[in-house]
Amino acid sequence: MIAPEVLNEWYPVAMASQIRAGQRRQTQLLGQPITVVLTDGAIAVQGPTGSFPVIERFGHVWTCPGTPAHDLFTVPEVDQPGRRLVDVGVVRVKCSPLRAVENFLDIAHFPFVHTDILGAEPHTEVNRYEVQIREDTDEVWATKVTFYQPQAAKSAEVGIVTEYMYRVPAPTVSVLYKTCPVVPGEWDVIGIFVQPLTEELCDVWPYMALFDDVTPMAELIAFQQMIFLQDRSILENQIPRLLPLDPGMEIPTQADLTSIAYRRWLKKRGLTYGAQMVAA
Amino acid sequence: MIRLYDYVLSASCYKVRLMASLVGLKLEHEAVDFHPGLEHKSAAFRQMNPAGTLPVLMDGDLILTESTAMLVYLARMSGPEWLGPDTPQALAQVQQWLAFSGRLAASLGRARLHDMLLYPGDIDALRRDGHDALRELEAALTERRFAGRDWLVGDAPSIADIACFPNVALSQDGGVVLDDYPAIRLWSLSIRSLDRFVEMPGIHRLHELRPAPVEV
Amino acid sequence: MTTRWIATGLCHDLPNGVVMAGRWHDTELAVWRSASGKLAAWKDRCPHRGMRLSHGFVRGETLSCIYHGWVYGTDGGCKHIPAHPSLVPPKAIRAEAFSCVALDGVLWLAPADVSEAPPRLGGLRPVRSLSLTCGLAALMAAESALAGKDILRGSVTFGGHAVEICLLVQPKPDGITLHALCGASADLVAVSRWLEALRFKAEEKVAE
Repeated sequence: MIAPEVLNEWYPVAMASQIRAGQRRQTQLLGQPITVVLTDGAIAVQGPTGSFPVIERFGHVWTCPGTPAHDLFTVPEVDQPGRRLVDVGVVRVKCSPLRAVENFLDIAHFPFVHTDILGAEPHTEVNRYEVQIREDTDEVWATKVTFYQPQAAKSAEVGIVTEYMYRVPAPTVSVLYKTCPVVPGEWDVIGIFVQPLTEELCDVWPYMALFDDVTPMAELIAFQQMIFLQDRSILENQIPRLLPLDPGMEIPTQADLTSIAYRRWLKKRGLTYGAQMVAA
Repeated sequence: MIRLYDYVLSASCYKVRLMASLVGLKLEHEAVDFHPGLEHKSAAFRQMNPAGTLPVLMDGDLILTESTAMLVYLARMSGPEWLGPDTPQALAQVQQWLAFSGRLAASLGRARLHDMLLYPGDIDALRRDGHDALRELEAALTERRFAGRDWLVGDAPSIADIACFPNVALSQDGGVVLDDYPAIRLWSLSIRSLDRFVEMPGIHRLHELRPAPVEV
Repeated sequence: MTTRWIATGLCHDLPNGVVMAGRWHDTELAVWRSASGKLAAWKDRCPHRGMRLSHGFVRGETLSCIYHGWVYGTDGGCKHIPAHPSLVPPKAIRAEAFSCVALDGVLWLAPADVSEAPPRLGGLRPVRSLSLTCGLAALMAAESALAGKDILRGSVTFGGHAVEICLLVQPKPDGITLHALCGASADLVAVSRWLEALRFKAEEKVAE
């Protein structure tokens, strides 16, 4: 049985442009077969016993297999004029959807996994940053995160200290805001939308809203796919595949404050699909 | 300048990027939106390559659409020692491995596309064919090691090694692990340790090649 | 008499400065050799975020996790956490060690509390390791000259010569891995090809 807390959340299930182009996507959500299809000009999601509610936002199709507990989150920055919106496409990963999100919240791996791009030795230190659970929106936020990056974005020419904010607005979603190398004072927005197929298998949809008028779209997509595929070989080799929520199974440090908050937030809200509750 | 129509996650494109780097040749890269855009299947792209496949290499009037042919071209241009020894046996063996690399792409490469980018395919059959190919490669490399050789042909790395390396090194992306192939593992380490080696997503940097920044 | 030691590979497949995946029954391990040749085998997960340590990298006398670069000494203790360079890692952060011994060209694994020494295979020459998708029964059915359980021995004739063969059996979830040794004067290429043929026959027995 899947907990109602899990069923009542919104999940990404397709790229809207592909469904609008007439593609039909047969996939899974929380272990149930679903179909995403265009019917009479509207996108519909059909579950095993009927259709699910649909929201089209951030270029993707979102659905809720239960009764939506709240509206799907918003990212006001996405609507700013001048941003390029980039659908990066789907990548399947054999891991818990929660591990995929947690990895996205992590910066300490940059020098070892995204070497010479998002990080490089000897610049490995993670400075103290702030983490909070915002009560009004019930979201996990990390702010004042800074890290030295050799090539922070496709548009970045030289190494810079990048500032980040991380946000978890839904159990299988994270959005980050990072220093924009092109427009000072603005944030580039990068999201990771994770569709939980099962507790140990997910389809991941990276997404970007950037200020960058120069770089061709194919290069923007390639850059983000490169970054995410560097993570994939990590995600498929973490043991256990489920995310342990009980302390003791894995040892965090101060650099992992966001991940600690995310795990607590999941546990407190009963969002345990893809989690391991008892140390094996 | 030689132009490569390129996709960052393609093992075949990587083959060409790796070869160019090893022989010290700079290419002009044209990113193609293979996924999710399927740009390589577009009418415009098919005018250049009717097969609708990547990579495509262009140098003046010359258009190449097979990655193994590109290896020959880049090596002959900038690093002829990569063509292998100039003997009838060695030339034939190099050709044998270039052809064999197609079997790796058709098995391990397709398994990877299936598991990673949701391409259709009979995954069990693809992995089984992949293991069959890996067994052949393992047996050959084992015999090479008995003879004191680290590479597929001759005494030095050649286009034969570079042609086979990408889909082998990326096999785990398609659910095929190399734990059972010790000779392949050491051969792969030798390739990754080469001067001017470049990685791609799925093949991480050999951090051991650089000293620790902090003495522990 | 049975031993708790299980062969996980041959020494020539694990040079100094290299890490590989090993297995003791169902326990997956990272087996590695430091720059000076010290051997260690640990459960294949970093205590930090569960990443396989067999994907890590060896620098000098340490093994680092590929995920966040946590550095472990040959004793299993965490020596350095790159995200906090000035922190001395607490003693509690350590990899879970197994016993690992290199003897007669073979890498042997056993739980840390093992008291006996691994079996001796003096006078034999390591050949290669290879994995089979079938079990021991099919292997025995394919070659009647071999006898034993964890260590199969026998005199096998091929190419007109009798060759002493020793196969160390490592169980796996989907079959077995054989670590093969042969008489000191045997031709390695011939033995390797005989092993390929044996595997073919054994796997065919299952298909029948």
